[in-house]
Amino acid sequence: MNSTVIDAHNISKVYNPDTIPVYAVNNVHLHLGKGEFAALVGPSGSGKTTLLNLIGGLDKPNSGSIMINDTDITKLSPAKLIRFRLNNIGFVFQSYNLIPVLTARENAEFILLLQGVGKKERDERIRQLFRQVGLEEKLDSRPSALSGGQQQRVAVARALASKPQFVLADEPTANLDSSSASNLLDIMAKLNEEEGMTFIFSTHDARVIERAKRVITLVDGKIVSDTGAKLLQKEHPGGD
Amino acid sequence: MIPAMAWRNIWRNKMRSLVIMLSVAVGLFAAIAVLALYKGMMQGRVRTVIDTETGHIQIHHPEFKSDMDPGLLVTYPESIIKQLESDKSVRSYSARVITTGMLSNPTGSSGVQINGVDTVNEAAVSGLAKKIREGGLDWKKNEKGILVGKKLASKMKLTNGTKIVLTMTDTAENMVSAAFRIKGIFQSANAPLDEANVYVDKSELQQLLGIGSNIHEIAVILNYDDSVSAIQNRYQTKYENLLVESWQELSPETDLMVKTVDTYSYIIVIIILIALSFGIINTMMMTVLERRREIGMMVALGTSRGRLMLLILLETFFLTIVGIPVALIAGFLVTGYYQRNGLDLSGMGRDMMQSFGFDPMIYPSFPADKLPGIIILVFLAAVFSSLFPAWKSLQMNPAETLQK
Repeated sequence: MNSTVIDAHNISKVYNPDTIPVYAVNNVHLHLGKGEFAALVGPSGSGKTTLLNLIGGLDKPNSGSIMINDTDITKLSPAKLIRFRLNNIGFVFQSYNLIPVLTARENAEFILLLQGVGKKERDERIRQLFRQVGLEEKLDSRPSALSGGQQQRVAVARALASKPQFVLADEPTANLDSSSASNLLDIMAKLNEEEGMTFIFSTHDARVIERAKRVITLVDGKIVSDTGAKLLQKEHPGGD
Repeated sequence: MIPAMAWRNIWRNKMRSLVIMLSVAVGLFAAIAVLALYKGMMQGRVRTVIDTETGHIQIHHPEFKSDMDPGLLVTYPESIIKQLESDKSVRSYSARVITTGMLSNPTGSSGVQINGVDTVNEAAVSGLAKKIREGGLDWKKNEKGILVGKKLASKMKLTNGTKIVLTMTDTAENMVSAAFRIKGIFQSANAPLDEANVYVDKSELQQLLGIGSNIHEIAVILNYDDSVSAIQNRYQTKYENLLVESWQELSPETDLMVKTVDTYSYIIVIIILIALSFGIINTMMMTVLERRREIGMMVALGTSRGRLMLLILLETFFLTIVGIPVALIAGFLVTGYYQRNGLDLSGMGRDMMQSFGFDPMIYPSFPADKLPGIIILVFLAAVFSSLFPAWKSLQMNPAETLQK
């Protein structure tokens, strides 16, 4: 169950390396296994989002390697990295970032079209995903007609559409009210429990931290604590 | 889904998109209007050349046009005339006797080309009757009537009914002269031609030159413009010792003008489209920069550079082509109206236009033959306009754009 999905080794991200170096991520080691429900926490500017971007292949580290399953994503060409993200990583963003001209269904379907999935399979998968996030009746609504919580649930459906190895969520509840945030966390926790989907959040939100099985704390680009990893290993001794 | 996204994206800012679509439509309409005007002017000029100056083809002695020697004759023209009369491709013809000479009156003299014609036949070939502004063509053969151009009449203060003297050299190189009375004043669309040509009765000129019933030239009007080269070849083959020339050979400057204006037309369209392209590029750049986060998100989710480029290309393409039908319909209707009613440009310089051989009344013609070329140019402009915005979008780093 807890086989390694992400193995980041010695990764650093430095801005202005030749003038006044600023370490956004400083020599970080991170192992994340399948089925984890992990929160990256820390104060603003601690490097949470940068680390998430590095793991998600949206940014390249200055040093170190990031293995996702057996692929070192730091060595992939830009085109291969885009393809890799499409097939392996789901993203949920703080501001939902749905495509406003597409309906809820089309937003999720967009990923499947990029993957070249046939129409019948697309339809089945979309219906299943929207059932899981509780938005079956909103399939044909444009994002502008949905509440923030509903938009973020569509974003979760979109992130899961490609059947990714894991989902990276950058402050997913930051713009949501308590009820919507709780509802979203329930959905993600359920997907984690029932389907073993791996979720990694960057967050300040106590509600998310409370629900996380593992909490990784970053300060000044370094991991200063990692609670729950050992507990998780105890629960799943077969993992790494 | 990419085409659908592109189409919906252009309507995200309706006013901005409508403005750029309208500017494409107006620009394209202007291009069509200019082409229609040019086409009408050129068609008018060609018509003037064929119908009033050269005819479709001319038959004469091979060296007559270069030497203008009255001894370079089409001898025994009856057989040619007989064939022309029975030829179903031929609408009309006019046998001409032509020489150069001097027109004199008490106020002065002027060099002219003296055309000896049968006025009825000539009217059918060069529309002489329609050009008469004073007097007429129906003078008696022994009256020694002459038609002079309005420009020449003004220059030499000639009026209808006054006498002038024509002096020329006959085939025996003797100076001969005769007095003629002005029976009519004509005006064509070609002022220089009006100044240089006078018309007298053919038999009187034949007598003065001493050439019997021989002539110098036969001008022929055909039923169809596009049969010129076939008929020219047929007559040239049959009358090998004569020279049969088409209007393009007789008036090479007109042929060159038509071809040059054709090229200029495309240059004008290209200039208009380049100007429009910068407007489109500006709009697309605003669109792309406003959607930095969205584009970054699409790349983050796995949208390839090719698909992103396709999206921007299609958006530009839609923005550009929506104006095409509007421009075509407006162009068709407006040129159609002026094609029927004519566009009178007399106010912009009647004399100047006539001095270049153009009728100031223009009948614009919808440039249907150039539409495929115009549409290809518009498509190229759309591709050109999309390149920079597309390149800009491809440069975006998703990690950076998603944080902004």
